[in-house]
Amino acid sequence: MMDAIQDAWNGLNGWLFEAAVQPALYALGLMAWAEDAFDWMDFFMFGLLQVAIVYAICRPLEAWKPVERWGDRRRVRVDILYTMLARLGILPLIAFIAFSAMESRLAGLVADSGWVPPTLETLVPALREYPLLALLTYIVVMDFGEYWRHRFQHTFGWWWALHSIHHAQTQMTFWTDDRNHVLDDVIGALWFGGLALLIGVPPGQFPLVVIVLRLAESLSHANIRLSFGAVGERLLVSPRFHRLHHGQGRDLANKNFAVLLPIWDWIFGTADFRRDYFPPTGDGSPADAPVHGGWLRQQMVGLRRLGAALTR
Amino acid sequence: MRLPRGLVLPLLLATLAPGLALGQTTPAATPDTAAPAPAALAPAPNGLVYVLNSGEANILVLDAATREEVRRIPVLREVHHLALTPDGGTLMIGDSGANEMLFINPGTGEMVKREPLSNPYHLGFSPDGKHLVITSLRRDQVDLYGWDGQALALEARLRLPDMPSHIAFSPDSKLAYVTLQGNNLLTAIDLQTREPVWKLDVGPQPAGVIWHEGKLLVGIMGRDYVAVVNPETRQVDRRIKVGRGAHAIFPAPTRDGKPGLLYVTSRVDSRITVLDPATLDIVKVLDVPGGPDCVSFDPQGRLWVTQRWIGRVAVVDPETGTLENQPVGRSPHGVLFQPTAAPVPVAAGASASPALVPAPAAGGVGLVAPAAAAETPPAPVTEAAPAPSRRLFAPRTH
Repeated sequence: MMDAIQDAWNGLNGWLFEAAVQPALYALGLMAWAEDAFDWMDFFMFGLLQVAIVYAICRPLEAWKPVERWGDRRRVRVDILYTMLARLGILPLIAFIAFSAMESRLAGLVADSGWVPPTLETLVPALREYPLLALLTYIVVMDFGEYWRHRFQHTFGWWWALHSIHHAQTQMTFWTDDRNHVLDDVIGALWFGGLALLIGVPPGQFPLVVIVLRLAESLSHANIRLSFGAVGERLLVSPRFHRLHHGQGRDLANKNFAVLLPIWDWIFGTADFRRDYFPPTGDGSPADAPVHGGWLRQQMVGLRRLGAALTR
Repeated sequence: MRLPRGLVLPLLLATLAPGLALGQTTPAATPDTAAPAPAALAPAPNGLVYVLNSGEANILVLDAATREEVRRIPVLREVHHLALTPDGGTLMIGDSGANEMLFINPGTGEMVKREPLSNPYHLGFSPDGKHLVITSLRRDQVDLYGWDGQALALEARLRLPDMPSHIAFSPDSKLAYVTLQGNNLLTAIDLQTREPVWKLDVGPQPAGVIWHEGKLLVGIMGRDYVAVVNPETRQVDRRIKVGRGAHAIFPAPTRDGKPGLLYVTSRVDSRITVLDPATLDIVKVLDVPGGPDCVSFDPQGRLWVTQRWIGRVAVVDPETGTLENQPVGRSPHGVLFQPTAAPVPVAAGASASPALVPAPAAGGVGLVAPAAAAETPPAPVTEAAPAPSRRLFAPRTH
């Protein structure tokens, strides 16, 4: 079954590449980059798939057990736009490619000295024989990195100026995951892609790591009255766990930063495991634009706030 | 090392799969002859087929006769090209992203050892067996190694921008030729002085290169032709139009003292053009869908071809025009048919579901030679291969 699905996916990608992408590369004189383009296209298709999977899982859950019911869902629409831009906008990929090129050059320089750059598997040989374990290790390390990126977004004034756009949403749904200022996305992509290369995530596994974290993030933003129970809440970030982080009030926003694994909040003393608490969301700011404005307006607000934070 | 995408794909793909014509390849056109009716290929003789899944971080080993999976060797990052040692006793496969060279027993598929080595992409032994040249496409470097039959010794590392890709040698082993994809050049490297001695603009994105009858044949990927280079005058004598995305050239092994036909892959037009080795005229065209990349020959003269963009390997009988293929993994690149005396037992954990799919392919010219091939150094391939078939280096391409 899985082999058939895999083959179907390969067939679809191959057809698309041969029918559209490769002829374009040929026409543009870019055939030297055909293999990279093939990987890129795969990633793009993966973005589409992510959105489809997230929708298929989260939308029925939201309809089944919502925390809040809204007659007017207009505020949600802008988050859908954010999602399309982010998931199909390939920002993480751009960062990864950029870092790959840079890493290759640097590695070429050090190779002159005879030193060969190690990988995680050379440092921990057991991982070589257990690809699944290696993948899980990468995910844990990347999730740890995301925890700290998220904490810093709330720590530094200039970063919060950008991240506040994400927190302004008062109708939080699974679409809200990608509601970020573009500069925040760029920083996040550099952070994520840089860490991935630092620990040697194989390019082929990178999309898998991304999709696991992205699925977790989408689900955690969903408008679902769902907690994972006394034990589950400590193992995986639930909609309840992350909703509390989006609750109105600074004290709530400084809790529950984790993306996939709550253990980081547990370890660093920022966890709030109240399982019956589903607060209303938003940053509590009286400003209207970040809440009701369109995409462009929200981006402008973010820039203004950034400017104010930097000149303060 | 890379896991199957299937782990994360189920929902959408389960609905897409029925519409994707699973296992189907496009019917091949036959410019020169009418398409024959699809016919099942006869079983291949005993042997192992190595398929390097560059996008999936593993090496698939198939039983050539049954086409069942014998084993799947996990690697760390990206495997692209391979070469047999001059004595044929060891299969070397470069894992470029992992900076490792893998040494495998070609008769069994067992890993012998791994050695750290800087970013091996394409590799080839000189005809005299004393030198191994390795390109690093991403690092703009070409490494010259000495080979004493046991171990590699780095002799020189040359900075050769931009994107050094494939390698060929002069028959006297004095010169190595490397295509530079990024700046349209073919460069010659003196293996004694270890310095580049000349460069020539051969066309956009040159990829595969072989030495053939005193000339160098270069696949011009950014165009639709093979450039015929005269190494004496250092000029392009001729351009043979084969199909867009001309990629690499694979000579079938010599037979009865006569050179075998030349097979040229074209990745954009998805075809293999067959050239007469004496005149370099086009003998016929085989349409092979999915971006044909590397080719290896079995003793019956059939072609094992990686179909890069659709994750399959095809077996093409150039005589009957029959093509069969099967899924192998993502972005399969290098391929090698390795004859064995007897069937190799399936390793524990290997799956056995070949899922062959016959598809009509190109009409065929009588190609009977047992073969081995390589896009790499042609000389060792033709001379070192034991009967009944030759080994081969699989090729590659970027």
